[in-house]
Amino acid sequence: MSDPSATPVPPAAAAKVEIDGLTVCFGGNCVARDVTLDIPEHSVHAWIGPAGSGKTSLLRTINLLSIEVDRAKITGDIRLDGKSVLDGKLERSEVRRKIGMVFAAPQPLPRSIYENLVFGPKLAGKRNRAELDQLVESSLKTAQLWDEVKDRLDKSALALSGGQQQRLCIARTIALDPEVILLDEPCSGLDPISTLKIEEMMQSLKDHFTWVIVTNNTKQAARVGDRTAFFLLGEMVEEGPTEKLFTSPSDSRTGEYIEGRFG
Amino acid sequence: MSRAAPQPVRRRLTPRQAQRVAQAVLWAMMALTVATLAFIVIYVLRKGLPYVTWTFLSQPPTDSGREGGVLPIAVGTLAVTALGVALATPLGLGTAIYLTEYTAEGRMTRVIRFGADCLAGVPSIIFGLFGFVFFVITLGFGWSILAGGLTLAFMILPTIIRTSEEAIRAVPQSHREVALSLGASKWESIYKVVVPTGLPGIVTGIILGVGRSISETAAVIFTAGSSLSHVVPTSVFDGTRTLSVHFYQLAREGISAEKAYATASVLVIAILAINVTAYALMERFMKRFR
Repeated sequence: MSDPSATPVPPAAAAKVEIDGLTVCFGGNCVARDVTLDIPEHSVHAWIGPAGSGKTSLLRTINLLSIEVDRAKITGDIRLDGKSVLDGKLERSEVRRKIGMVFAAPQPLPRSIYENLVFGPKLAGKRNRAELDQLVESSLKTAQLWDEVKDRLDKSALALSGGQQQRLCIARTIALDPEVILLDEPCSGLDPISTLKIEEMMQSLKDHFTWVIVTNNTKQAARVGDRTAFFLLGEMVEEGPTEKLFTSPSDSRTGEYIEGRFG
Repeated sequence: MSRAAPQPVRRRLTPRQAQRVAQAVLWAMMALTVATLAFIVIYVLRKGLPYVTWTFLSQPPTDSGREGGVLPIAVGTLAVTALGVALATPLGLGTAIYLTEYTAEGRMTRVIRFGADCLAGVPSIIFGLFGFVFFVITLGFGWSILAGGLTLAFMILPTIIRTSEEAIRAVPQSHREVALSLGASKWESIYKVVVPTGLPGIVTGIILGVGRSISETAAVIFTAGSSLSHVVPTSVFDGTRTLSVHFYQLAREGISAEKAYATASVLVIAILAINVTAYALMERFMKRFR
């Protein structure tokens, strides 16, 4: 064991996603201001902060959803592997296939489990039935749902339980073969066991994906996050290795939030 | 200061009684509606069905409709209706999609919606007059299936726009976001997710349009004509009398009460058959989307 004070700060792993001076505004109301943040590859990056701190808007900007759906005005830049996703050189659909998203409430589309999973791959041009079958099986296995649904793939996804639906949504995102997966409070409506399954899955898939998880549950951030960022009223207050942020935060507001004094 | 003695709360009905009364009144309203509908349908069918024979269905009318059947009229009616609905459905659905998905809610959309609502309330005879002046005379289509179909299309367009719009608006926003997040373009999210999900509402609008078209009298009398043909129409430029117009002429001119009720029966059965078929087809299609 080396003395931590003697070793220099290890060089950060290559940044997969760089958020650079990003401001997100709706009309005149800026919900995130001048956020600069590097998300290292193959890690879990947790975002915490009270409601209204801009986490979700920021997350929805990474895959351009806030721009297209919520008509957000953006300044600053977001880069994936060093290439801007905002300058329009990459197709939006292309960006979204590389940066998948799972929403807060489970959002299966009203169709069969199978059709939910192949929705994205079919749009991307995959038509080969055997290939799609294979993809369905592998993504369901990855999301630890295969054993529960393998006999009823042609049944409605809406008949699954909440936890199963959310794992289906994660499997559906995985079926896109993305590089980054954004999770917007994915466990907010789930029971502890479903939550645990999803957290375990994130840990075990770090080699494949880069995860960004917005969570209102600071304990969850402490459990899953390699690094954690704390947001407050549109500002990123602090970002760092999760352990450091939780044990010796550099900003007093971070400590107060984590201790539950507000938010 | 003297305290007012607490007034005893006077209720005419306890909540439980009010609930019972409300339920009874609502049931009576429903029963009255269903009974009226059933009475009309049964009355017409009882008077007309005995005369609906194979000859009636397969023969052209003779002697101004006193004898023979309604074959050319039935075919002409279906042709005018099909043309009207086939034109109005894509136009109405397209407008509804544009209004809901591609424009922000504002003055413009309100004006369009208000216009559509007004148009839906315009009496059909006004549409008939417009169709007569524009399609029959100005464009020179004459009294024809084409002129009738176009007129009906404009008449049912507002209904199809408004019902489709409501159906599309009722599709949860999250469905659109999910589709986009899975790599769909906006248009792909609309035609792969939003429209199929809203289909039951859209089909309801189309069926309302079919019903209005097939039973329309005033708008088609001016545009498809009312002359009695003895041959089945073969071109959209042929004029035709529709079943409702035929019924109107038979009854009003006192030509034949039996044939009038038989015609009405054919019309009622046709509408029922079309509705049942349309809903059955939709049910089948919607199985994939639940």
